[in-house]
Amino acid sequence: MSEDILSEVRRDYIYRLIKNGDRIGGRKADEYRDVSVEKGIIVRAEGSARVKIGNTDVLAGIKAQIGEPFLDTPDKGVIITNAELVPLASPSFEAGPPDENGVELARVVDKGIRGSHAIELEKLCLDAGSKVWIIFIDIHILDHDGNLIDASALASMAALTNTTLPYIRYEVGEEDEALLIKDTPIATTCADIGGEIVFDPCLDEENASNIELTVTTNANGDISGIQKRGTGKIPFEDISQIVDSSRRLAGELRKKL
Amino acid sequence: MQNRPEKLINDGIRLDGRGPDEIRPIKIEAGVLNRADGSCYIEWGGNKVLAAVYGPREAHPRHLQDSRKAIIKYRYNMASFSVEDRKRPGPDRRSVEISKVSRDALAPVLMLEYFPRSSIDIFVEILQADAGTRTTGITAASVALADAGIPMKNLVSAISVGKADGEVILDLIREEDNYGEADMPVAMITETGDITLLQMDGRITGEEFIKALNFAKKGCESVYKLQRRSLIEKYEKSCSD
Amino acid sequence: MREEVVIPGCFLGESVTAGEGTFVEENRVYSMVYGLVKRDKKEVEVIPLSGKYLPKAGDLVIGKVIESTFSMWIMDINSPYEGLLRLSNYPKRIEKEDMQKEMRVGEMVITRIKEVEFPMRINLAMDDRKCAVIREGVVIEITHTKIPRVIGKGGSMINLIKKKIGCNIFIGQNGRIWLSGSDEKIELAAETILKIEREAHANRLADRIDRFIRERKKGKGKNAK
Repeated sequence: MSEDILSEVRRDYIYRLIKNGDRIGGRKADEYRDVSVEKGIIVRAEGSARVKIGNTDVLAGIKAQIGEPFLDTPDKGVIITNAELVPLASPSFEAGPPDENGVELARVVDKGIRGSHAIELEKLCLDAGSKVWIIFIDIHILDHDGNLIDASALASMAALTNTTLPYIRYEVGEEDEALLIKDTPIATTCADIGGEIVFDPCLDEENASNIELTVTTNANGDISGIQKRGTGKIPFEDISQIVDSSRRLAGELRKKL
Repeated sequence: MQNRPEKLINDGIRLDGRGPDEIRPIKIEAGVLNRADGSCYIEWGGNKVLAAVYGPREAHPRHLQDSRKAIIKYRYNMASFSVEDRKRPGPDRRSVEISKVSRDALAPVLMLEYFPRSSIDIFVEILQADAGTRTTGITAASVALADAGIPMKNLVSAISVGKADGEVILDLIREEDNYGEADMPVAMITETGDITLLQMDGRITGEEFIKALNFAKKGCESVYKLQRRSLIEKYEKSCSD
Repeated sequence: MREEVVIPGCFLGESVTAGEGTFVEENRVYSMVYGLVKRDKKEVEVIPLSGKYLPKAGDLVIGKVIESTFSMWIMDINSPYEGLLRLSNYPKRIEKEDMQKEMRVGEMVITRIKEVEFPMRINLAMDDRKCAVIREGVVIEITHTKIPRVIGKGGSMINLIKKKIGCNIFIGQNGRIWLSGSDEKIELAAETILKIEREAHANRLADRIDRFIRERKKGKGKNAK
């Protein structure tokens, strides 16, 4: 994700470690760093969660508003996902509108959730053609040590499971209702470093790699999003094994929700 | 916006009469613009796409220069009249993302180390859109890069696969893209089978995914042949003048 | 004779020497550019059909002065890279204040690529007897990959043009060509060279060009083929 230029010696070191079946921090190739999920920490938000994967730290907040549906989907609610790579998280992040990395991050998270049908958009319709719930998923990157997508997707999903729609505040109901969640899409990302595949790359590993693959899988094993990133290429034969590993690792991450 | 057709696939036959693994008619022409260093025009089903390459040329602004290699810029742009509801001109989030992944899809074949400090600028204009515009754009850009004389290890070919009415299908049309269950653009170096672009929107099973990937491979092979022919034809035309 | 045209990534052979325009992967030689294959006894190369001029040490080129700084002239050499002519590489000693008098911004100069330093820093020199500031005639520009066609085998094409038109022609390796003589001759030479560029791969090019010049000299319509 980052444009940091990694020093040659650091890159060589990372390559050497991985070639010898080792990794920074002594992890296995398919082992995540410590993952923690903390829900409901922003009381002003309809839902929120902070996820840490190793030193990577991401906060997702959900706000709900009432608004008009899109013209082509008058009976469906709306989900809008945004990511801010705020400058406090990394010296390479700059203030201003999201750059292509921020845009891609938000869209990968968004498509993973959308594709899984975790949120039934029809249930967010209050009055077809005029009044629907608009759910904003806002992702704040607080500390960047690699694998922002997995952390952001997990934080977003955790925040959604923690969301209550404010029917009373908007005077559209007698009681606030928890947002109905029908599936739990989980994104897992791997990087190719010198021909070896490692999951949950840290920042140095990301910078030593020129290819990452994010696969979002659902509770029943279906796939609801794939994104290849980086300037490298993936051998055709490797894909199905990566998807299998992603599915298995997603199962473990799902328990944290 | 029209409504969803009742069925997208009837007894294995799609709305435009194709079977699940058939591609639309594709016409590729290399070297269609005068000012650009390389160019390509593609008609792919209802898509009309123009790609132009400028460069290698001096990278601006200077701080973007890389002393080890050329940088690539890729601009995917949809004409406002290319779709049913007028598209607001200028980059939106979708086109920013498409530009990024398309650039990365071409990077693996470009031998950028020959042109340090320079920039290779790729401009893709979607003049008319009918699903699969990003893959059509990558296919066109790849031909335009070769036409510009840029050193490359191979061409990149691209096509989209997906799922509609429960079936895995190759080369989606607009209705299948809008109302289907999944859309998966793929770009490949056909001769080696290496994948340089892979995205998936929607939901499919693991088994369907593998089937789709094999459809994509077959599709890319057909696309590659047409790309190659367009370049050979351009040369032959210059001989018989 | 039909020439073999290839696109990037075409397999060209095993156990052959990889010449320009090719690359090697696992002992196999492939084309790296869209171009025409040229096979020798041992070597295979691909002559590109298009592309930017990449400076090579020793090439004589025509540069355009775009900036004059306190210690050098910066020239556009029809390439992604600018050429630098340092005062120390200038044949005569001049004062910095006089640089503008020697070569003004906008002027065309025949110059030699002295060296290409990493990362593509191009140093120019004026140490060939052909090097000079161009102060008469016209400079035209064609795709540098077509220069060999303008020259022809053993200089046959360029000699034909010179002889038939009677115009002085200097060809820079970077695709810029200097024409001098009467305006009429310059115009015909320019048209002829642009025709060669356009029809570089046509059959019997020399005959076509010969006919073209003859017809034009006879004063047939401007667009005569």
